[in-house]
Amino acid sequence: MDNIGSLRYFLPELILILFAVGAIILDLIWRKSSARRMPWFTLIGLLLAFVAVLSLRPEARLASPSLFEGMIELDSFSLYFKALFLVSAAFIVLFSIRTTEIASVIRGEYHALLLASTVGMCLMASASNLLLAYLSLEMVSISSYILTGFRVRHARSSEAAFKYVFYGAAASGTMLFGFSILFGLTGHTGLREIAASLHQLFQDATPGVSLAAIVATVFVLAGLGYKIASVPFHAWSPDVYEGAPTPITAFLSVASKAAGFGLLIRFFYTGLAEPITATTTWSVIGDLDWQLLLAVIAAFTMTTGNLLAIQQDNLKRLLAYSSIAHGGYMLMAVLLLTQSGMQATLFYLGVYLFMNLGAFLVVILIADRLGSEDIAAYRGLSSRAPFVAFTMTVFLFSLTGLPPFAGFIGKLYLFAAVIESKLYWLAIIGVLNSVISLYYYVRVIKTMYLDEASTETPLQLPALYRVLLFALVIPTILLGVYWNPLYQWAAAALIRS
Amino acid sequence: MTVTAAMFYLFAVLTVGSAVLVVTTRNVVYAAFSLMLTLCSVACLYVMLHADFLAATQVIIYVGGILVLVLFGVMMTSGKLDMKLRMERGRLIPGSLVGLILLALLIRIIYQSPWQVQDTNMLESTTKSTTQSIGESILGQYLLPFEIVSVILLVALIGAVLISRKEVKEIEES
Repeated sequence: MDNIGSLRYFLPELILILFAVGAIILDLIWRKSSARRMPWFTLIGLLLAFVAVLSLRPEARLASPSLFEGMIELDSFSLYFKALFLVSAAFIVLFSIRTTEIASVIRGEYHALLLASTVGMCLMASASNLLLAYLSLEMVSISSYILTGFRVRHARSSEAAFKYVFYGAAASGTMLFGFSILFGLTGHTGLREIAASLHQLFQDATPGVSLAAIVATVFVLAGLGYKIASVPFHAWSPDVYEGAPTPITAFLSVASKAAGFGLLIRFFYTGLAEPITATTTWSVIGDLDWQLLLAVIAAFTMTTGNLLAIQQDNLKRLLAYSSIAHGGYMLMAVLLLTQSGMQATLFYLGVYLFMNLGAFLVVILIADRLGSEDIAAYRGLSSRAPFVAFTMTVFLFSLTGLPPFAGFIGKLYLFAAVIESKLYWLAIIGVLNSVISLYYYVRVIKTMYLDEASTETPLQLPALYRVLLFALVIPTILLGVYWNPLYQWAAAALIRS
Repeated sequence: MTVTAAMFYLFAVLTVGSAVLVVTTRNVVYAAFSLMLTLCSVACLYVMLHADFLAATQVIIYVGGILVLVLFGVMMTSGKLDMKLRMERGRLIPGSLVGLILLALLIRIIYQSPWQVQDTNMLESTTKSTTQSIGESILGQYLLPFEIVSVILLVALIGAVLISRKEVKEIEES
């Protein structure tokens, strides 16, 4: 579709950009009252964009147009991701209102950057051209670097931002090198054209194609793997997660990771695979066996994340490692190239949003009240703030994958999809990892319920936090018993290549 | 060896040689000047590829803009930044080993792969300016990436202001 015609379908992103620019300008006009008004202004923008996303759903399912001369796709797949990004961005805005960590330095720019980052993520999930894939990834990265280093005179925050920039630059540079090899081989930057051209090259058995294609895939994986924090590109994440302001950590671990998965799925399913039957199953192009590559990476990612999480005493760091492990679980289902694998991944991303944001909200809340992120600070929390302790227990059990919470259903679908594809060794590693993760999640719960608190003074909860905890704990429980609506939405969002 | 080939090898050696100097020299000013040589030779390589617009942009932005900024930065911070750059040599051997393996792999790919090459003779092809077609692509097929770049630059600009403003605040208060 041409540029002017595409604008209508680009409405969510346009709204977000408009509000991002608006936030900067209004910050100058409102001045003192900006801190009070800006979150609500941002929320209106996110809400409008969300409505726009929902209104595009029927059209995406019927026509699925390719927009802006083939730069981005408007399909149910990208809309599902956009909805995830917008919901998590809205939660992050609400998280940031009261937190003492950054409330004093928050200005319009914070919200503008958050919105810009969300736009980048929306583009990542819908990019169908290497050029735009790279640009959207950079857009998310650059705004994340700044948000990570947002705290004034905070050594850890600055160090985290610094490390993030260096890792990011190296990773995206490597990815660009991979893109250039792919472009050299096929002469195209559009993912569909690349797939068609690779198919032809493999069919003609042109010598030298496999090696170049495999090296290109590994290079591209450096950039994508860095975004989803998979081994061996995960080393940045614990430091960045610990140093960044906690709302931003939550944003990175949920939305940024989901965006990485969106682009990864788009790249591998559209660019390096071809559908066998209509819309259900895919196969890799030629003898380019990237499935095994991803399987090994997934196994290492889960295991590394979980084994390192055991040793952590800082809850934020623990959640960082656990987030690496969850990336591994999802990667396990992504590489299957089956409908059930895709559906399980999308569903898990949705579930993961609520439970992980919930866990981080408790971290924010406790850090706010007690000034510490160490697990030791959670001693006897059950008697000081029973509601917080209860919700944290729900989130952690759900992250472990215990019934009757949403995480259980999510993991059930993931493992079922893996077993369906007869990758038994991977499924066994996955289950073993879930058992390991039980240990460190339950350790936190044990600290909250069985250990004696140093004081018995009850913790005061601001009403906003109470509402937010409710808003996150209800879906976590509800999706564990009645998950069909989200699962159906995930089913409808399957990618069409 | 034709004149074109000779010129290509000249610029290639200049590019790689000065790039090596950038990372090995211990003096920041020398490094900046070698970087200028690298960037200029890359611009020459662009000219040889008939990418005239790209070559001009390279000179204006990198050599004219960024490099002058780097030199200004060195000038303003002289004294503070006059330190000897320390280089860690502990990881030299494993690092270069990985680098060499990667280089061998890439060389193999470069020679073996069936690249999509346009078969035109460099000297005979019409010397048409690329500016017009770039302009048309930017406002046609590549409109969205072009606009997205502007948003990215805005974000980077805000970020730069935010980060530098913090430092100003610190100086005022201390």
